[in-house]
Amino acid sequence: MTVAQPRKDKTRRLSSTKVGGKLVADYWENIFTAKERGKHVVWYNGAALNPLFQAAGLEWCHGEAFAARLAAQHLEVPAQAAGAEYGYIGELCSYARTHLGCAVLTHQNSNRSETGVVGLTDQQELAGKLPAPDFFVNGYAGCSTGQQWDAMTYRVFDRALPLFNVSIPMLWGNKPDAGYMRGEEWVEVSKYVEGQLRELIDFLEYQTGRPFDWDALSESMSYIKRASELRLEGMELCRQAPTPATYWDWVASIAPINFLPGNQDLVDYFAGVKAEIEQRITDGVSAVENERYRVYFDGIMNWNKLGFLTRKFAEYDVAVVAGRYTHESFWQEPQLIDVDNPLLGMAQHYLLCPLNHGLKNLQELLLRRLDEYAIDGIAFHSTRTCRAMTNPQSMLARTAETERGVKSFFFEGDVADASFYNDELFDSRLEAMLEAIDVQRMRSAV
Amino acid sequence: MNRLSPEPMATLRAAADDPVAYSQTWKATHEGSVIGSFPMNFPSELVHAAGALPVLIQESRAPITEGRNLLAEFYCGYTRSVADQAALGQLDVFDAIVAADHCVQLLGAVDVIRWARPEKPVHFAQLTSAMDDAWTRPRVAGRIGEIVAEIETALGVSITADALSTSIRTFNANRRLLREFFELRRSGRLRITASDMQVLVKSSMVMDVAEHTAVLERLLDEIDPAEDGGLDAVKLYLSGHFCHAPRPELLDVIEATGVTVVDDDLYTGYRYISTDVPEDGDPFEALSSWYLERNLNAPCPTRVTTQVDWDRYLVDQIARSNANGVIVLMAKFCEPHMLYYPELRKALESNKIPSLLIETEHEGNPVETLRTRVETFVERIRRQHVPALS
Repeated sequence: MTVAQPRKDKTRRLSSTKVGGKLVADYWENIFTAKERGKHVVWYNGAALNPLFQAAGLEWCHGEAFAARLAAQHLEVPAQAAGAEYGYIGELCSYARTHLGCAVLTHQNSNRSETGVVGLTDQQELAGKLPAPDFFVNGYAGCSTGQQWDAMTYRVFDRALPLFNVSIPMLWGNKPDAGYMRGEEWVEVSKYVEGQLRELIDFLEYQTGRPFDWDALSESMSYIKRASELRLEGMELCRQAPTPATYWDWVASIAPINFLPGNQDLVDYFAGVKAEIEQRITDGVSAVENERYRVYFDGIMNWNKLGFLTRKFAEYDVAVVAGRYTHESFWQEPQLIDVDNPLLGMAQHYLLCPLNHGLKNLQELLLRRLDEYAIDGIAFHSTRTCRAMTNPQSMLARTAETERGVKSFFFEGDVADASFYNDELFDSRLEAMLEAIDVQRMRSAV
Repeated sequence: MNRLSPEPMATLRAAADDPVAYSQTWKATHEGSVIGSFPMNFPSELVHAAGALPVLIQESRAPITEGRNLLAEFYCGYTRSVADQAALGQLDVFDAIVAADHCVQLLGAVDVIRWARPEKPVHFAQLTSAMDDAWTRPRVAGRIGEIVAEIETALGVSITADALSTSIRTFNANRRLLREFFELRRSGRLRITASDMQVLVKSSMVMDVAEHTAVLERLLDEIDPAEDGGLDAVKLYLSGHFCHAPRPELLDVIEATGVTVVDDDLYTGYRYISTDVPEDGDPFEALSSWYLERNLNAPCPTRVTTQVDWDRYLVDQIARSNANGVIVLMAKFCEPHMLYYPELRKALESNKIPSLLIETEHEGNPVETLRTRVETFVERIRRQHVPALS
């Protein structure tokens, strides 16, 4: 029974994801100048509504995405400080208080300029660079805090801007026939959300003063559908051991699939990722040097610790191969998208947010992934200020152990607040799980 | 000085302190069913119309043990307590359980119930939290229809429109009586401590409504209209604390500093009984109206709307009650409250209303520290805002 000790960096990250990083950086740089270019800007949270905004000729700022970007670049502190000064308490969702801090900064900056163009001095801090919104759209699945969040952003901006809410019911599983993408409940709520998307399009037409471009929506959704297929094909290649790419590579690919414009660049990006994975398989290159354990990651991403955790797991010969956040989100069921009539499939994806399921669906999804990826253990990121992702974790851990004999460990952290992470606890708990896996293997070998 | 009569209060306090025991006794004596529900918008009238006892599940005072393994420590005390009660089998008294509010922490606790007691009928009828949209009302009506169907299935009965109309009138009468107590307190004619007011409201969430109404009528009968309540000089308003009751000992510490709580918007306070269900028209539709109207009457940060603001409501209510300041009671980890708090603070500061934020927890509330903070707060009010009283 041995447990590997932390040592050198044993990660082999995909190089193709750097292209995605460039696309995302360019996207935000473009957003920062939206007002100078005379564009309408929508701030939104929750579901990937961006294809609708793209077809409406808007520029879109996804609040969580910007908070995640700040945290991943370790630039979240000015926004969180502005939020704290405004009155937000540190136990509040750190996505929300980071983004609301950005809202406070943007509102302060735009008040200094009648044009809403952020001053050069203020652009020194990335947190203050978001262009002032013209209106808000909220479409948050699963998390009540997410639904309430933009009602607060609206108030930070003096209750002066329009707010549109898309209400996305939970896939709770009341009915006996309820399950993942099946049952009466699934059919009923899909149509309900689709109806609201039509209302949203009316709202967008009113706000922009232009007719909605349905052809543009079909076009962008065709790119997104193809990009999603390529992404899933790449993920499927990671079922083999050792895996040619890890969960961390898919985390690096979240931003592109989540909010970049649906266009050829997006398709090319995921084609590039898949091609690199295929090449690795051909060349016999694994994503983690000496993969000995295959782990599933449950929980929302700890953006402050992205690189750190990537290296940390690899040091223990652990390949994190799949996760709820990456694999159960982001246009993950592309067969649902009818590019000629995309609204229903879009609504269904908004419902399929990994926060939006009752326990029964999540058990079904977890067991499926454990089998597909031959998982040895689960890392549960007990995310301090994200109760939506943390909700069923204790019960999922017991399900995995009972149904598949899969061990797990919990570690504390947060989406965008580094102060909740405890490295000592992480090490000891991961080591304990790996030891338990070693014992299992020894017993099964006897 | 007018005070509440001890004997009827003891009846209410017994039910408020131990809802499970009350439910067990009621089941035994009535040979009926008991349905548990969750705050803050469940229409209990539906359960009553089915002939069963509706009980809003309360936070237990017991330290959390088994539930600690099922729900993370960074959930509010109420949801952790619910998970604990479920794991310990203390919710077994309920024949079915229904939730209507989409709170992410509450649903975590409800999923624990489904896990711990898979045989128990548990239904979630998600009442849309975005209140302003044209599609909200029909959606809410649909969910109320779902609750009706679930209760009918669970209990094997039919809920008729006539029965529901009767239940609506019965609950409205109870709410009207409770609002009389709030008015008596607000006007200074009756001294009701904050913890006693909590007993009045909390017991109404638990007890058979007819029995509760009878006790309230006894209490009112014993009030001398010629006397006043003998209020202390500094008057405070209590705000916040959703879903569950703040610990009575915290409320007692506040009033022990020589202040009178004259009004509140607590959930186990005025918020719960702010709005009656319309008595005319279709009674099922009336419940949808009630859901939408109560957020206009007492705006709640768990609901999304641009029509009303909790902060403006709070400032108006403080003025209406002639309170000299407000203590905001926040259950630790309550996210809608954390989200809205800066807006409250802004509004209170801009209206020069002294305020004190107190976070409460399920266990380990630092009572002596709290006493010092409240004393300092009250002294500040005495010196700065009611100098004639100091």
